[in-house]
Amino acid sequence: MLVTKDLTKKYQDFTAVDKLNLTVKDGAIFGFLGHNGAGKTTSLSMLTTLILPTSGSATIDGFDVVKDNLQVRNLLGYLPENVMLYGDLTARENLQFFGKLSKVKDVNKNIDEVLNMLNFTEWTDKKVKTFSKGMRQRIGIAQAILHKPKILFLDEPTSGLDPQGTKDIRNILLKINAEWGTTIFMNTHLLSEVTKICTDIGIISHGKLLVSESLSNLKENFKDAKSLEEIYFSIEGGVNNE
Amino acid sequence: MNSIAVFAKKEFKTAYKDKVFLVIVLLFLLMSIASVYIGSTTKSAEMQAYQDIVSMAQSQGSAIPTAPEIYPLAILSNIIEYVTMIGAVLAIFLGFDAFSGERENGTLRLLLTRPFYRDQIITGKLAGAGMIIGALLSVTLLFNLGLFTVATGMIPNLSEILRLALFMILAFVYMMSFYIATLFVSLKTRDRAFGFLIMMIVWIFISFVIPQLADTQRNFAYALSSVSSTVTQVPTDTAISRIIELLSPAVQFKNISSDLLQVVSSTAFDSVFSIIKKNILAIVTIMLPTVIFLIFSYTSVQKENVL
Repeated sequence: MLVTKDLTKKYQDFTAVDKLNLTVKDGAIFGFLGHNGAGKTTSLSMLTTLILPTSGSATIDGFDVVKDNLQVRNLLGYLPENVMLYGDLTARENLQFFGKLSKVKDVNKNIDEVLNMLNFTEWTDKKVKTFSKGMRQRIGIAQAILHKPKILFLDEPTSGLDPQGTKDIRNILLKINAEWGTTIFMNTHLLSEVTKICTDIGIISHGKLLVSESLSNLKENFKDAKSLEEIYFSIEGGVNNE
Repeated sequence: MNSIAVFAKKEFKTAYKDKVFLVIVLLFLLMSIASVYIGSTTKSAEMQAYQDIVSMAQSQGSAIPTAPEIYPLAILSNIIEYVTMIGAVLAIFLGFDAFSGERENGTLRLLLTRPFYRDQIITGKLAGAGMIIGALLSVTLLFNLGLFTVATGMIPNLSEILRLALFMILAFVYMMSFYIATLFVSLKTRDRAFGFLIMMIVWIFISFVIPQLADTQRNFAYALSSVSSTVTQVPTDTAISRIIELLSPAVQFKNISSDLLQVVSSTAFDSVFSIIKKNILAIVTIMLPTVIFLIFSYTSVQKENVL
């Protein structure tokens, strides 16, 4: 379970994330929504131990992201936005490298398993620099799940992908969640994706968390809304208009 | 396998898949071979000239001149120039995108979410670069020892092997000092091309500008002394020019190497220890900035703005 308590990040006078209180249950697919610059990536960077919070705390499975950062890193998989990986290395070499860094015992066995899952076996020995964006994103996911993490953090995983690539990634994430029970924490601003994949959502605006609910509860609370887009704008717009 | 070994192995693998790097390595090896060839043919020509003079003296019944001193390792002396120039560029090429490249590729964020300490990335990259430079210098050493034996018909004695080994260790330290400085610049710059440019400027400054400044100072001192006519014997060197040269690890490397490879006749048969003792300040000049950049690199990698 992921829990944050008053998690805050300040850069001098600017507050990027302001007292974030969030709970993500095990096995959930959590969509973290917000406009560009809302604080999504900063939050994710704190949760993945990349940057330190200014105040507040966050735990994953009871491990503090600051004090127990090595244990937290053992539990998480991470795919940043627009990752290129090592172009001169093949897909397998890239995965071997990241697998070994994640202390995977039988790397090659895991690579075969993951690539099978992603339907990517025929590209294993091709250099990554020859891959399309969709293919690179699949290898990116492969490196993130190679060690079978408890929680998978994704930053705009479908951004810049064509409809087929978007659908492929969506299916992969659903498969990982269903087969391994991996919790997925996904930063996105694509509302259509959220409706198709997420069980829970959080909306952040100007560093403040506006809502964190299960998708079904949210729809229940906004019965008159025809789409998630309408719900999103009524929540975000309501705050911005205040 | 621990994280440091994983990094080192990956650095090694990536470098030898890089065509530009391979071209520089090939150039390095070819030049070292060429330098041995040029050195040995020059020495052979000198010996031939001496033999001709001896024959002529014998035929004319005049006294036979003393044979010139032979400094076998001097045959390899051209390697000093290649290590100073190409070796430094090679080290810069190895390190210029060590971090900025990872940042641009998005892989740095992936690395920093793995279960190991951040300083292990630096240690791993250093180990990888050390393996690459070490392998290159070892191959060069073996090549040159072989060529040396073929060219001179002599098998190097223990003292010569010690001098050569020490030269290679010094070359390793010199090249690693450029790598470490480049690594630090790469940590601090967002754009890999900009980092490369900075290091090339540093290289030009160290290899050409500072030595040129020292030379100018030397010439200036000579002119002054001539005009004032207060000194009968004009010094060819000055304390100031030597201080200026202390700012250039390249000059210091050349000075120590010249002693080790018997280019300087006054130290040609000194023991290795006395050469080290004589050049201790020069060794510190090479080591000190390296240690400083190393400490800065280990400190910088812990900071958030490394991302």
